[in-house]
Amino acid sequence: MSISTKSFEIFCGTGGVGKTTLATARALAQASTGLRVLLITIDPARRLKDLLGLKEDSIGDICPVEVNHIKLHALLMSPEKTIQRMAEKYQTPDLASNRIVKILSKPYGGMNEILSLVEVQMQFDSGNYDVIVLDTPPGAHFLDFLEGIGKIRSFFDQSFVEIFSYIGSKTASAGKKVFGFGIINRVISGGLRKLLGYLQKFTDAKFIEDFIRAVQIIYQSKEAFLKGLSLQDRLKSKEECNWFLVTSVEQGKAQEAIEMKNHASSFIHQDHFLVLNKCLEQEMKDWHPGDEKLKLIRASLDIREKELKESLRSVFPHVLEFPEVMSLEPIEHVNNLTEKWKSYVP
Amino acid sequence: MSTTPRRLYIFTGKGGVGKTTLSKAFVRYLNEHDHEAVYLTFKNQSLSETQKDENTETMIDGIKTVSLDLEDSARGYIEKRLNSKMIAGWIVKTPFFRALVNMVPGFNYLIYLGRVLEMGRDNPRLIIVLDAPASGHALTMVESTTNFQQIFESGIIFEDTHKMLSRLNDPEYTKIHVVSLPSQMSWQEAIELKSGLKMRTPVEVNITVNNCLYPLVEQNLSDLPAGLREKAINEKNLIEQHKTEMQCILPHSLGMNSKTVELDLVGSLSNLI
Repeated sequence: MSISTKSFEIFCGTGGVGKTTLATARALAQASTGLRVLLITIDPARRLKDLLGLKEDSIGDICPVEVNHIKLHALLMSPEKTIQRMAEKYQTPDLASNRIVKILSKPYGGMNEILSLVEVQMQFDSGNYDVIVLDTPPGAHFLDFLEGIGKIRSFFDQSFVEIFSYIGSKTASAGKKVFGFGIINRVISGGLRKLLGYLQKFTDAKFIEDFIRAVQIIYQSKEAFLKGLSLQDRLKSKEECNWFLVTSVEQGKAQEAIEMKNHASSFIHQDHFLVLNKCLEQEMKDWHPGDEKLKLIRASLDIREKELKESLRSVFPHVLEFPEVMSLEPIEHVNNLTEKWKSYVP
Repeated sequence: MSTTPRRLYIFTGKGGVGKTTLSKAFVRYLNEHDHEAVYLTFKNQSLSETQKDENTETMIDGIKTVSLDLEDSARGYIEKRLNSKMIAGWIVKTPFFRALVNMVPGFNYLIYLGRVLEMGRDNPRLIIVLDAPASGHALTMVESTTNFQQIFESGIIFEDTHKMLSRLNDPEYTKIHVVSLPSQMSWQEAIELKSGLKMRTPVEVNITVNNCLYPLVEQNLSDLPAGLREKAINEKNLIEQHKTEMQCILPHSLGMNSKTVELDLVGSLSNLI
């Protein structure tokens, strides 16, 4: 099988499957063919950070990286820095200073997924890269990232309209100054006013005001967010994006992967790859122990892996198998996996 | 058995370390020792537009299993506070409320944990075993205190959160188990998660190392293929080096599927109480 290079390569998966190492190896394999590659990653293990030469104080900045004489650029995502870059690019300084926006863009806040996409979009616009490899935040399962993007889409679709109607009714002239278009003249949403009344019973009036203010500020930068969202459509195109859904033999959750496969089809194109990491098959191929206990160990490892592969192959169009690397050195992991990726270069 | 168990056990750790199997086995262990225990999971992390669900309580393979749905749990909380099912049902459907819950980090856990602690209050004999989401999220879950103090400065949620967290942070009530695999990288992550948790809560946090090959093969190292031998030796070194920090070391199970693995584990869990 060969995997052609696309402008975007996205790795989704749960934690602990080796997703970041696989994405790093993929980026190196691409860069070794002379392509200009940017690797965007979120919270890699410390030893991998060391390997890439990334330092704590460089979080959120693009850094040149060299591994085994292969050069590429790497960016450790920092939602806060992305917000700052957006504020500069779109001249909306409030975005970077608002208290609630800061909280929403904390790790595991609701804006992380969309901010990764916005970052990819901004870096793509720079024209500096042939390939952008995105290692997405780990979720409970590999669709969490995709679902997260949906959160902000519904935010833009409905809530904003309601809120502006509400604010419009409250402070029509001030609102006009802020937004300068017709939304505030829409029919006032009585429902929202009632809702805010209830919510104020739970929180307090100040929080509701602060939250609405944060929403206004986010809305001022809507161009950037919507561009990020429109990127999602390009990612659905086979010609522009490779999707890698990563799981590992250790996880052994075939059923879960299969259930999600159907759900995934609304977010990604059909030509995606299921990457199965940490396979032991090669390792055990020529191992035929005589000892009874070892026979049982071999059988238990073997059958779990075989059943997993069978069920994955029955539903995923392409299953890529990567061997478990036993070494303690991250560099060996990366080298090993890079070689494997190179074998897929057309 | 002399030890009085805690009321809430939280199993956390990276995906694929065996949290689910381990927490189910632990429920079995508690049941076998005449405790009323329930296995609890969260169905979803955000309010979904497409998938409709609700809180469910079922018996699965002889284990009482509760799966919580975020929307259902939120509705229940609001209903109690406003004394109206209808209004609560309407509020959770509004886009504004959905945006609020989906965007504010930890809001989902606040809703879930509220429901969990309520279950504990309703049945004073019940022991809840929570199969918690993967590790980064576990920090968010415990961290929601700080976030909510920053976000809500007063109001009912603020006060309820306080009450809830004082119970959650009670070492007599709660205990956290971080589950790890016997590899250097997994161990490193477990240690980081443990210290992250210790910074945020005073309850006991222990590490369990799961799926260790070494104890099974220490007599037969030379009969293993080179790669597996290296794996076993790496495990041995890791275990020897950090033995004192590992509360429980569980060997690789020879079970052929997750059910047999689960039953296999039950006998080795007395340390986790």
